[in-house]
Amino acid sequence: MSRTITIDPVTRIEGHAKVHIEIGDDGKVGAATLHVLEFRGFERFVQGMQAELMPTITTRICGTCPHAHHLVSAKCLDAMFSAPPPPAALLLRQLLNCGSMIHSHAIHFFALAGPDIFLGESSPVAKRNLIGLLEAAPELAKKALRLRSLGQMLVEIVGGRGTHPVTAVAGGMSFALTKESHATLKGLATEALELAKVVLEAGKKALQKDPELLARLPLATNDMGTLRGNVLDLYDGKLRVRRPDGSVALDFAAADYAQHLVEEALPYSYGKQVLLKDAAGATQPYRVGPLARLNCAEVTGTPAADAALAEWKATCGNPSKLVVAGHWARLVEILHCAEKAVAMLADPAILSPEVRTAPGAIQRHVVAHVEAPRGVLIHDYKVDENAIIEAANFIVATQHNIASINTTIKDAATRLLDKKDSELLDGVEFAIRCYDPCLSCSTHRVGQMPLEVNLHQGGRTLRTARR
Amino acid sequence: MAKVKVSFEWLSGCSGCELSVVDLHERLLTVLEAIDIVRLPILMDVKDYPKAALGIITGALRTDHDVACAKKMRASCDAILAYGTCGVYGGPQGSGYAHATGDLAETAFVKNPTTSTHFVPDQGVPKLLEGGVLPVDAAIPVDLYLPGCPPHAYYVFEALRSVLDGKPPQFGEHNVCFHCDRHMKHTDVSALRRVHQGPMENDTCFLSQGILCMGSATLDRCRGACPTRGMPCSGCTGPSEAIVLEPNRDIRTEIATRMSMMTKIPKATITSEIEKHAKTYYAYAMASPVFREKPTFLLRRWITQQGAAR
Repeated sequence: MSRTITIDPVTRIEGHAKVHIEIGDDGKVGAATLHVLEFRGFERFVQGMQAELMPTITTRICGTCPHAHHLVSAKCLDAMFSAPPPPAALLLRQLLNCGSMIHSHAIHFFALAGPDIFLGESSPVAKRNLIGLLEAAPELAKKALRLRSLGQMLVEIVGGRGTHPVTAVAGGMSFALTKESHATLKGLATEALELAKVVLEAGKKALQKDPELLARLPLATNDMGTLRGNVLDLYDGKLRVRRPDGSVALDFAAADYAQHLVEEALPYSYGKQVLLKDAAGATQPYRVGPLARLNCAEVTGTPAADAALAEWKATCGNPSKLVVAGHWARLVEILHCAEKAVAMLADPAILSPEVRTAPGAIQRHVVAHVEAPRGVLIHDYKVDENAIIEAANFIVATQHNIASINTTIKDAATRLLDKKDSELLDGVEFAIRCYDPCLSCSTHRVGQMPLEVNLHQGGRTLRTARR
Repeated sequence: MAKVKVSFEWLSGCSGCELSVVDLHERLLTVLEAIDIVRLPILMDVKDYPKAALGIITGALRTDHDVACAKKMRASCDAILAYGTCGVYGGPQGSGYAHATGDLAETAFVKNPTTSTHFVPDQGVPKLLEGGVLPVDAAIPVDLYLPGCPPHAYYVFEALRSVLDGKPPQFGEHNVCFHCDRHMKHTDVSALRRVHQGPMENDTCFLSQGILCMGSATLDRCRGACPTRGMPCSGCTGPSEAIVLEPNRDIRTEIATRMSMMTKIPKATITSEIEKHAKTYYAYAMASPVFREKPTFLLRRWITQQGAAR
């Protein structure tokens, strides 16, 4: 039976989108595509700005992971002004990254995806949200909210503000820690570590009690993540691509991204997709984010998270193809970030007043990357001799995942094609949320994501479902 | 007491304003006891526009879809709060004001160096407004404005409290300097310095050091986050009340007057530097008629004078 479905907007994601599903004459799902509906034009209007504004103006690309844009932009400026940051600044920047990762992952797991996982897909729509979760499981929900707050409070102190931090500058940081703020940070990180253990256990249990759910949406594809050696690194390192069979396809430096990655516009979406390309120009999809990072890393470098990673790999596979296991991976990363924050705050070097290197000669073309909560984030700037931006290129996490998201939407739609509208809508939205797509980010070009699912056949709209 | 119904809508923005509500931390639970959120797309599956006492709109008008959504909010809510600098002044994407809308899309889709395709998406995507980004009140009447990128939790709480109590908010109309404890000093500084050129003195006003800080021309909705952490203000909340209300006052003349009094840098040098780098110093509020309608406002010309690439 042919039909058209519209979900408008897709809710509990960061941004606006709709989904289009094509049904063939044989009644099977053909193409399934996510449409991103917003455009802002950052790459154009930053041209002519003074380069030192970039770490704060680019945070405004995304309110959920502003710290990632802030840090990658500051890394670009370090290179632009030939000013490698001193050790204390590197520790502070990584602390900022850990705090923000805790905040972003916690809000996604509990506020956006959590209602499906803890309340169940069949729970009433009006209650299937954070407020419903606060009523149904107040203790856990309050702990999760507290954990998110702790991560964000770390950012508020180190970054100067929670949303849109301001303190990373060319050559380091704009201020040094005082003893008082150091003590406060220690308290926050220690509490976050305890809570991270609790919420990992709770989340893991909820996912494990439904093996069908965990295994429902498998996708064998390439994974990309950042490593030092074989160790997970969320701030800097080489980019590794691991094939679905576990072999290493490629290691490369972010500076060479243009050789290995290619963007493609899609006629129906303001979000471009990114694909891997080989020397001959042949392309293939890949994914980034928590699932991809844990698939690439052998260890995380912190003890409790290493044990959690080993259990995750033993249960979900190595590399894991279980898209839903990305939710569990997010909790393992929260634990790692909390452990790492505690360890960095125990390092006396973080209290050094030397937080900023003076600028040297201007480099006219710079590229840097960082692991944002949702995956690899790349900034590329060209400047004139006075460090005024001439060109900028941003490749953000959700763009890398567009091809994989589309495949997973197709899987979900195929499973649910014969079900009633509400189940199809719920299932497609659940599939999309596994990737924690952030459309503010992917639409630094054009930007809005309400979700609308259309089923089309031979150019005709077959079914539209809204709620 | 019956809970006050609150409805949220987000237009062209970054979702940072939604997060800033969550950044009320513990006080969020207090707020949730007093309000009934009937619509919040980032958190809830409600997709239509239920009736509400207060409608909170974040983000600017970028597409025809944004305009339609703003109108639905106005029709369904008793009062509208424009929340965040995008809703109030257009925000950073308002910097697109310096360019034709088609030019923005060309850069992203046609002329991008790592993009293999060369077309602008046009199938079923919302139409970009030809005149560029606009603040919310360009499409609908707004009852209360709360700029800030995003506004600090202190002001968010105060805005919500005022609605619950039915009394005007006690915001204060001071500028960012109010929260900055740096000292203004007369110095012999004779040349402008840029932020990346450090080192800077931590207890001296940036203007005294020859560094362009927008704090004295910017409304405080941030509690002085930047100057208290070693960073000059970049004006993300938008202009001070004096600039909003007085036709002949402007960011560049306000800043140039103050800085030239404290340093040996001539006022004309400072004015000309700000005009030359208008994109940097007007980055957040460029789309707003508050600037466009001023007799002193020549922003498009200043930017054009820097060459076609700018």
